[in-house]
Amino acid sequence: MRVVLVPGVPALLPEYAGVTDPVADLRGACLDAVASLGTDVTVVGDPQGERVAAYLLAAADRTGDEASVLVVGNGSARRTEKAPGHLDERAVAFDAGLGRALREGDIDALGALDRDLAADLLAVVDPIVTLAGLLPSGGRGEVLYEDDPFGVRYWVMRWRG
Amino acid sequence: MTLRLGRQTFPDDATLMMAIVNRTPDSFYDKGATWAEDSAFDRVAQVVDQGAEIVDIGGIKAAPGAEIDVDEEIRRVGSFVGRVRAAYPDLVISVDTWRAEVARAVCLEGADVLNDAWGGADPTLVDVAAEHGAALICTHTGGVQVRTRPHRIEYDDVVAAAITDTVAYAERAMAAGVPRESLVIDPAHDFGKNTFHSLEITRRLAEMVATGWPVLVSLSNKDFVGESLDLPVGERLIGTLAATAVCALAGARIYRVHEVVETRQVVDMVATIAGRRPPARAIRGLA
Repeated sequence: MRVVLVPGVPALLPEYAGVTDPVADLRGACLDAVASLGTDVTVVGDPQGERVAAYLLAAADRTGDEASVLVVGNGSARRTEKAPGHLDERAVAFDAGLGRALREGDIDALGALDRDLAADLLAVVDPIVTLAGLLPSGGRGEVLYEDDPFGVRYWVMRWRG
Repeated sequence: MTLRLGRQTFPDDATLMMAIVNRTPDSFYDKGATWAEDSAFDRVAQVVDQGAEIVDIGGIKAAPGAEIDVDEEIRRVGSFVGRVRAAYPDLVISVDTWRAEVARAVCLEGADVLNDAWGGADPTLVDVAAEHGAALICTHTGGVQVRTRPHRIEYDDVVAAAITDTVAYAERAMAAGVPRESLVIDPAHDFGKNTFHSLEITRRLAEMVATGWPVLVSLSNKDFVGESLDLPVGERLIGTLAATAVCALAGARIYRVHEVVETRQVVDMVATIAGRRPPARAIRGLA
């Protein structure tokens, strides 16, 4: 089983490309991660996340028939005053907990995420909750990207089971 | 269509800034500010720094005035072109002249483009362009004499006249051996035109673009702007930029300008609105 997590950032889509790429580093990490998936991939994401997934899967060369899942989700979009959802004081702590659970493969914590709080914080976690059923307990993922350049928390991670 | 301007080629979606560099003591806008050769050279450095792809060097003002003979025109622009060429090997250098003898001299100094603002007044200019591989700007003047102001000129249809004459000029140049990709047409606002004519040319510029020939517009601070807004030279930038936006939406390719930075912003903004150019960097609402 191969599993990748990317954020559903619309700026990754070709139809929203500018002369310069505001998410060049994130794009590089996403393509790197997705390239490790097999040819047959199950996508877990909301409709916008599915669009981003379709672009990434088409853009990355993939081989092999190992079962593969691409999960599209991200942390809060309310981390700073300049963030898309303005500042919510709870955002940083929420993302810290989520990031720890992802890095440590804490499937109990992932399964018990506070979805109401996540919705308040504009975090896209429903797809991430499914990771609880996919990852081995304590399975440590590889972090390819972790940052919040626009006040939204992004992770690009890869697990090989 | 790909555009070849001497040593440089440009894709068909590129818009180009042609910065005016006067080696004259009496041009209407700068009134001799770059008459001294070093001042003109500094002006070249400035507009290159501002991103101009082309400089258009002229030795004779367009309006009536003191007679400048061939020798004096060559003294003004010939060696200066050579100096600019030596300093800027890749810059597209245009020379604003109607005279074949001057054109030959500046081509030998490294000019890429001959900007014939007087619409083929010298019938042998096309031969010089062909011989030296220079591009040619084919302008419409309504048949007026070189360095005269329009006086009671009428057209049945000024746009049709501009298209007919500039395309005929371009085809004559092709027949003389200038490649199609090195020919540009220019309706020549204010040349052989009253303000109503220049406004109509602006309003209907898309018809010139539809010919398929690349279109140059020279709008900068001209009288049709001044008369439209009742503003003197020196207060016409905003009006110039409004006219520039209209021509950019219609698809003009080259903009002959005094103000490079402002014009580039307007042309890029219009191209972006028109969907011909992406935004520089877009993240609003997309993070």
